[in-house]
Amino acid sequence: MPVIDVRDVTVQYRDEDRPALQHVSLQVTRGEWIALIGHNGSGKSTLARALDGLVPLTAGAIHVAGIPVDEEHIWDVRRRVGMVFQNPDNQFVGADVAGDVAFSLENQEVPREEMHQRVAAALKAVGMAGYANHAPSRLSGGQKQRVAIAGVLALRPEIVIFDEATSMLDPAGRDDVVTLMRTLHEQGLTIITITHDIDEAGLADRVIMLDNGRVVTAAPPATVFAQEDTLVARGLDVPYSARLKQALAARGVRVPKEYLTNEGMVNWLSQLKSTI
Amino acid sequence: MAAPALQDVSLRIEDGSYTAIIGHTGSGKSTLLQHFNGLLKPTSGQLTVNGVTITPATKNKELSDLRHQVGFVFQFPEAQLFEETVLKDIAFAPRNFGKSAAEAEQIARKVAAMVGLSETTLTQSPFDLSGGQMRRAAIAGILAMEPHTLILDEPTAGLDPQGRRSMMNLFARLHREYLLTIILVTHQMDDVADYADHVVVMEHGQVLQTGTPRQVFADAKWLREHHLRLPQTAAMAEQLAARGFSFDPLPLTEHELADQLVPQLQGGGRHD
Repeated sequence: MPVIDVRDVTVQYRDEDRPALQHVSLQVTRGEWIALIGHNGSGKSTLARALDGLVPLTAGAIHVAGIPVDEEHIWDVRRRVGMVFQNPDNQFVGADVAGDVAFSLENQEVPREEMHQRVAAALKAVGMAGYANHAPSRLSGGQKQRVAIAGVLALRPEIVIFDEATSMLDPAGRDDVVTLMRTLHEQGLTIITITHDIDEAGLADRVIMLDNGRVVTAAPPATVFAQEDTLVARGLDVPYSARLKQALAARGVRVPKEYLTNEGMVNWLSQLKSTI
Repeated sequence: MAAPALQDVSLRIEDGSYTAIIGHTGSGKSTLLQHFNGLLKPTSGQLTVNGVTITPATKNKELSDLRHQVGFVFQFPEAQLFEETVLKDIAFAPRNFGKSAAEAEQIARKVAAMVGLSETTLTQSPFDLSGGQMRRAAIAGILAMEPHTLILDEPTAGLDPQGRRSMMNLFARLHREYLLTIILVTHQMDDVADYADHVVVMEHGQVLQTGTPRQVFADAKWLREHHLRLPQTAAMAEQLAARGFSFDPLPLTEHELADQLVPQLQGGGRHD
C-alpha cells in the first residue's frame, strides 16, 4: 500500500481563473524521497498543502497511510505528516528552543514525562541538544530551521514535507538541513522536498515536475535531468554537469547521452584525458 | 557590550563597479551596507560616499541627498508597494522629493521601461501583478529616486530559477547600460562569478579579503577554512585538477572551463 495515494485531484481556488491542480494522480512508496519541482505557480505548494489537509479538494481523493484526508480524519492525518516551511522566523512560537519543540506536543496532549523525553530526543536528532534553553533570537537561520524540524519530529510523523525549507538559509545552514534530510531518509521516513535547488532535487529517489497544475514528469533524477530542454522550457535550472556537457558538445566533444552527476562527469573526463 | 558589529573596516568601491559582498549571516555585511547611505553612522572612522563624508558627528539632515543617491533593494522589496496603481507607486518617491506631478510621472515611465514593465502594467494595481513583476515595480520605485548606486541585499530570495535569472540580467543591464554602481550581497557564489568584477569577503565584522572573483575563488583551501563555497565551475575545476588536469587562469563559467578542457582531451574529445 502506498503511504501517499493521490487520485485524480483537482483544486480550484475561488478567486483564480484556472485550477491550481488539475487531475493529479500520484503514489508514494513508504520510505521514498520525492522532490517536487516546478516554477512559482506550478502547483507544488498546493499539492504539498493538500497532502496535509490544508487545502480543500475540488475533486478527487487523497489517502495518507490509508487514511482519507478529509475533515473527519484531519487530525489523524496531521499526526502522520509533518511540514517544515520556508521562513524559520515565522515558525517559532516558544520562548526557548525546548518550549518551541514541546508546543506541538502540548496540542496532542502527550503526558508530561513522555513530552520531556520526546523533546530531548528530537533536539538530539537535529543536533541541537545543547540549545534547549536558548532563545530563538540567538540562533542562526539554519539552527532555527533545525528546531522547526525537531518540532515536527517530536510528533513522530511518517512523512516530512519540506516546503522550500532551505531557500532562505545561507550555504552552511542549507548544508545542515540537507544532511538532516538524508539522515531522516536513511531512518526510513518518507521525505517530500519542494525545491528550486536542482542539486537538492538530485538527492531524491524520484523527481516530480509540475507545470500548470499538472504532473508532467515523474522519474528518477537521472532521467529528468537528461531532458535539459524540458527543464529550461519549464522555467527550471539545469544541473551544472549537464550545462558543462552542453558546453563541451558545442566544442565538438562527443558526450554521453545519459545524465552524469558531477562525480560521474569527473570520472568520464579523466578517462578521456590525453596522456601526452 | 558585545563585540563591535564592524571593526577596523577599510575598503574602496570604485565608481561604476559591480561589487559583491560575501560572508556568513552575522558577518557584518548588512551593517556595512547600512553605512553606505547613512542609515547607520560609524562609531569611529569615516567613509566617503559619492563625495559625501560621513563621520560619527554627521547630522542626518546632511545626508538627505545621499539617501537618494544610494538606492537600497532589500529582500522582498515588493512588501513596500502600497499605491493604487503601479505608476503612482513608482512616482511616489520623486513626488516626495519635490518633483511636480508631471515630472514624477515622466520619471516613473522612464524607470518602468528600464525594468521591463509594460505600459499596460502601469495602470494596474501593484497587487494584481505576478511575484516577479511586483519585484520589478518595487525596484522601479527605487530607481525613480535616480540613484547613482544600487545596493542589492539578497535580491533574488524567493524567486524561482527563471525569475532569478531575469532579475540578475536586469541588474547586469542597469550596470552596463545605465552605468549604475552595483553592490550585491549574496550567498550565491555563481552569481558572484557570473556578474561581479570585485569581491569583498567579510567575517566577524572585518574585511578578510578583497579582489577580483578570479583572485578570491582561486584559493579553494582558504575559502573552505572560512566556510565559504566555490562557484560550481571553480569546484569542478578543482576536482578535475586532482585528476591531473590543469587550468590557468581559473575558469569561472562552464564555457571557460570547456575551452580549457578540450585541448587536454585525447584528440580534442572528438572520437570514441
